Amino acid sequence: MRTRLVVMLAVCALVIAVAPFIGPPMPPDARDFILWQLRIPRTLMALVVGGTLSLVGAVYQSLFSNPLAAPSTIGTTAGATLGALVAIVLGARTALWGLPLITGAAFVGALGVSLLVAAIAAGRNVRMNDLVLAGIAFSMAAGAISTGVQFSADSAELLTAMRWTMGHLPQVGYQNIVMLLPIAAVSVVGLLTLTRALEVFISGEEHAESQGVNVRAVRMASIGLGALGVAGCVAWCGPIAFVELIVPHIVRRVLGVSRRVLLPCSVVVGASFLVLCDAVARIIFPGKETPVGLVTAALGTPLLIYLVARKSS
Amino acid sequence: MTSLLEVSGATVRKGERALLEDVSLRVAPGDFVAVVGPNGAGKTTLMRVALGLQRPDAGRVTLNGRDVGALSPRERAAFLAWLPQRVQVSEPITAQEHVAAARYRFTESHRRSEEAALVALARVQAEPLASRPITELSGGEQQRVAVAALLAQEAPLVLLDEPANFLDPAQQLELYALVGQMWRSGLGVLCITHDINVLAHAMHAGSEGRIRVLGLSKGRVAFESHYDAPDLGEHLGRVFSVRMRGVEVENRRVFVGMSLERGE
Repeated sequence: MRTRLVVMLAVCALVIAVAPFIGPPMPPDARDFILWQLRIPRTLMALVVGGTLSLVGAVYQSLFSNPLAAPSTIGTTAGATLGALVAIVLGARTALWGLPLITGAAFVGALGVSLLVAAIAAGRNVRMNDLVLAGIAFSMAAGAISTGVQFSADSAELLTAMRWTMGHLPQVGYQNIVMLLPIAAVSVVGLLTLTRALEVFISGEEHAESQGVNVRAVRMASIGLGALGVAGCVAWCGPIAFVELIVPHIVRRVLGVSRRVLLPCSVVVGASFLVLCDAVARIIFPGKETPVGLVTAALGTPLLIYLVARKSS
Repeated sequence: MTSLLEVSGATVRKGERALLEDVSLRVAPGDFVAVVGPNGAGKTTLMRVALGLQRPDAGRVTLNGRDVGALSPRERAAFLAWLPQRVQVSEPITAQEHVAAARYRFTESHRRSEEAALVALARVQAEPLASRPITELSGGEQQRVAVAALLAQEAPLVLLDEPANFLDPAQQLELYALVGQMWRSGLGVLCITHDINVLAHAMHAGSEGRIRVLGLSKGRVAFESHYDAPDLGEHLGRVFSVRMRGVEVENRRVFVGMSLERGE
């Protein structure tokens, strides 16, 4: 187990160290710019986003006792998409305090829908399945409104919207990271403090309550902090699919299900997984930047099908 | 002596129906209270009320003199540990991790929790299972590990909810022997069961009279008695709608049910 942990962490470190050098060859005179202004900030962004999304995925899977639970389960992604679409259609090329309006709107949308679900979670006799249903209902509602918004958009706006929903990492500079980092940090650090309580959750909510866990508080904190982190990531990068679903399953397979290992390792593995996907996105179609969301989906779908097939067999 | 657990006049309604009506019960340190009754008599509701998982519509539940609703889950866990019918572990966590998790109420390092878990596993002779995933254990082994978790919580009162329901006779015997050990070590035991005879495995010489038996029927307390009371069979028979007779087998009293029709 210890050996596996060391190997896994070493692989992650290697991926992160090598990733910025993967890509089309850099002309010598532009090398510094490409490396320091494009690739390294992108790598850092991928680290933050990949780590946050994966941790939230691991926490939600623990919380809902459902291997398929994800931020999209409780409507976070649908809310973000709705917010972004509204901003795009309203012609948001402007920025507010250096924050692109699309980003701000997506953040508000993501947080808004998830907090509605969290408010339901605060109820006394709410079962986790009810929450999943509520999440699906809110997702469908947000999706329907999004479709309505798209209907009133022109083709240029639609193209922007489509690009956004593919999931991408911002192109240039450090400013985005500086804004996202505090949000992600609050989410990640906060969620990691719930590790011990989530370990007790493995034997069921009522049993956990009898062993001293304040189930309602843990539930609300998990959903609230998770929604915050995911809202931040989705706002800047669009809905990057599958990271939050796959990474915890990989960690679980290799290192076991103890939350003490699963949660922190999901952060590290998720961070390097997205860094790797980003590097792959740079080289998979030469001369073109593939949106990273396509790479994660391409890698994630087969794995997910495999997991489902294994589970049902 | 103050009671660890005191339920007084607890009533729980579900719509028109009363799941529990005016039920009172006290458990002091070192007490053994068995709650018996047929399915649907309100045993599980009583247990949930005692655990603070369900608030009674009327009546009061106190742990060590304090209202259970006013206690935080951590404070409740310090008084009362619960052994469910079977461990509902959703993932292949190891036995040691499962027992260590039961130490949640303590503020301590993980290393300390793991050590305490090993000690608890040793007390139920389950040390060899420590690093096995709990989902791969047999039902009997799982309950053994669950008892270790119960001990690791270090509460003075344990609440057992039909803990041998899914076990075969050998495993039942083994489990109730452990329950007897816990009782002799000074814990208060509140044991819910529909099979009175399993209690025989938890007894030691001369302890029959100290086991209190509370019969529940249709949400109400039908009788309160002791395991060695001469008329316990009649009480039990009435609650279960059969004729019940106590017979001596190897110095132990067991109860046999017979149908009402063929009666004398």
